[in-house]
Amino acid sequence: MRERKDRPITRIIIYAILLLALAFFLFPVLWTFVTSFKTQKEFFSYPPVFVPQQIDLHNYIGAMIPPPDGRNGFKSLMDSGIVALGTTILSMILGAPAAYSLARWKTGGDDLSFWILSTRMFPPVAAALPLFFIFQKLKLLDTYYVLILANTIFVLAFVIWMLKGYFEDLPTELEEAALIDGCSSFRAFTLIALPLVAPGLVATTLFAFVFTWNEFLFALLLTRRAVRTLTVMVPSLVGGHEILWGEIAAAGIVAIIPGIVLALLLQRYLIRGLTLGAVKG
Amino acid sequence: MSNDVIAKKRKNRTSTGLRTGRWTPTFFVLPAVILLFLITIVPFIIELILSLHVYEFTSLADPQFVGLQNYVDVLLHDARFWNAMKITFIFIIGAVGLELLLGVSLALLLNRLRRGRSLITSLLLIPVMIAPVVSGMMWFMIYDDKFGPLNYIIEIVSFGHFGGTAWLAQLSTALPSVMVVDIWQWTPFIILIALAGLQSIPPELYEAAEVDGCGAWQTLWNITLPMLAPVMVVGFLIRFMDAFKLFDVVYLLTRGGPGSATETISFYTYLRGFKQFSIGYTAALAFIQLIVIIFVSKLFIGYLQRQRGEEVA
Repeated sequence: MRERKDRPITRIIIYAILLLALAFFLFPVLWTFVTSFKTQKEFFSYPPVFVPQQIDLHNYIGAMIPPPDGRNGFKSLMDSGIVALGTTILSMILGAPAAYSLARWKTGGDDLSFWILSTRMFPPVAAALPLFFIFQKLKLLDTYYVLILANTIFVLAFVIWMLKGYFEDLPTELEEAALIDGCSSFRAFTLIALPLVAPGLVATTLFAFVFTWNEFLFALLLTRRAVRTLTVMVPSLVGGHEILWGEIAAAGIVAIIPGIVLALLLQRYLIRGLTLGAVKG
Repeated sequence: MSNDVIAKKRKNRTSTGLRTGRWTPTFFVLPAVILLFLITIVPFIIELILSLHVYEFTSLADPQFVGLQNYVDVLLHDARFWNAMKITFIFIIGAVGLELLLGVSLALLLNRLRRGRSLITSLLLIPVMIAPVVSGMMWFMIYDDKFGPLNYIIEIVSFGHFGGTAWLAQLSTALPSVMVVDIWQWTPFIILIALAGLQSIPPELYEAAEVDGCGAWQTLWNITLPMLAPVMVVGFLIRFMDAFKLFDVVYLLTRGGPGSATETISFYTYLRGFKQFSIGYTAALAFIQLIVIIFVSKLFIGYLQRQRGEEVA
């Protein structure tokens, strides 16, 4: 990086603008966090309460425990986890060999790679209608299977495209040597290539997990009672008769933890994950 | 000359690939391709067939083949479809435009910091991975007309002259309010890719500009921004495709209202399909969007291909 000497006044202005930006980008999260500790009376007061009287977990407990006392958030947490885990595992198991094949042998040429990529661009609402019909016929609506399969449309394409980039960045020499020593292609893939792209593999897995965790439209349209992910639970509480904002905020905080942890831990991989490798960072 | 030879050598190696059995490459991709075929191509064939029928889920009548009638109706007789397209494009120009402007400006500032850059960048990135539906919920509380902090802050800053605005219920403020949530969530993404773009600009260019006596503005206009253009194109195309999918935030904040002031194309499709159950009609709507998205994703993919071509060369 080029060292540039800013005058002190310029530097102060830059910091001031950035702090203002920081306030804007962090405020909604902080406000939700604060709200998750408020009592109903504190929420409905003006001027708004910035520091709740008592910091305790009553809203979290209320949001998470089963009815009649609570909002069944723990069940939703499990549902979100099962769907995200199922989608991620399915996509990684099918996606890793496919990505390897595309990267190493150019299987199907550019056409196959780009067909796979283009499935990720579909508007989900356009995909939801036929999926609804198919899974209704199969009597699989409102199950984990339907959400895992629907999410796989987008996540599998993502996984293949990301891992393809990581395999392409990997020099082929080690695998070539192994093949000369009589290793099979499958062993060269599992024993040599996979361990070498481990960081990319981990990053891709975590992204796949969070993308599914954050998904809303399919969960809204394809499941109802038996499966209710956190992203469906949160708006369903907003629509109720008596809106318990403290509990909604608490459920929201629980729902965003995986995403925030990922954004902070995997900052280095974020760019590649969000642009499908178009910008490498 | 010698560069050409090296490039050719490299190209040869990557295109022949690793030696392997004849069917091994196919065997590796087949499971993924079969699954993708079953969950993308098959549903879209069904959707294409549905789009050629009048099929009201709520009536007992069987689907009736009408050819392209649904498409004609959508494109020629559906004012609400065109309204939704208009809203979507206003959204793209307004929100995505501001995201690019803000994102690049903030990245330029961040890039000048010598201390605290990575910490501030990390914190700025928090909104990116939050579920959009939860972002909607957060802003729903902020926008609350009676108890929300936004009106309170405005009241304080304006010494009581303004305040009490029902942001999400007024025609004039509903769409901008939805756009602010998108700007909040996705400007950090633009910051991130703009920072990567800035760091990939060779320092020699700046040195040359300095030698030539370029001022700060000239350097910005003639070097920094043109060099940033390629990554910004990627950012724009990605955000363009995302804006077509805009649903979660609208569902939470306004449900398309007031009237149809915030009815994006995705939300309108949802209403026709899953509230009114006009199946054939919705299928046609979905297909029209698909064609637009395929067109844009072709641009994106073409861009990726060109970039990869340059990498090899």
